[in-house]
Amino acid sequence: MAVKIRLRRMGKKKAPFYRIVVADSRSPRDGRFIEEIGSYDPNQEPSAFTVNEEAAKKWLNNGAQPTEVVGKIFKAAGIEK
Amino acid sequence: MFAQNKKVLYFGVKKKYLTLSGFPYMIYQVSEMNEILKQALLYDFYGELLTDRQKEIYEQFILDDLSLGEIAQGAGISRQGVHDSLKRCNKTLAEYEEKLHLVEKFVAIKGKISQINEMLERFQETERMEFIHRIREISDEILEEL
Repeated sequence: MAVKIRLRRMGKKKAPFYRIVVADSRSPRDGRFIEEIGSYDPNQEPSAFTVNEEAAKKWLNNGAQPTEVVGKIFKAAGIEK
Repeated sequence: MFAQNKKVLYFGVKKKYLTLSGFPYMIYQVSEMNEILKQALLYDFYGELLTDRQKEIYEQFILDDLSLGEIAQGAGISRQGVHDSLKRCNKTLAEYEEKLHLVEKFVAIKGKISQINEMLERFQETERMEFIHRIREISDEILEEL
């Protein structure tokens, strides 16, 4: 099963807020996800991330593929396999 | 379970957050991330003006963070087709913004309102009238921009 780590937009109109979720790549659009491992809030200045480092590492080690944006967040947070 | 090992990170355009060696890298981070915010706001304001088909593709890209390949597979078109469609959407949205400036105004006014809130808090702490005068100035600026 291909697992991806991606952003998912939450929050209301004109106030975007994102969750970092682990989800199955084959059912990308039904809104389900396996685990929430963080968030990204661009409304604050400076914008803020929260990342559950332990869970992120666990998923990366299990072969989960982060999207480009999530990869950048992880890199900035110093999270590697 | 989640709160214990949660790590909060801040990235700012403000220089005090940046060390000299990390400078170019951090700036890159910020501009990249603000691009997401910009696209999200453009879509919130002008998204309804895209065609249904365009909306479907664009939403998958900016709301669900799907890759071009994944969108292409779901829509039954080529990766190149998805790329072209996204590019056209971006162009359309940018054109609306260029003519209407709704996002620009929204961001400016939102910034000024948070300034007002800050002044209000400071006034409550210090009871100095200069903060009230400053609030008046900012609210006049907002009225002028409307």
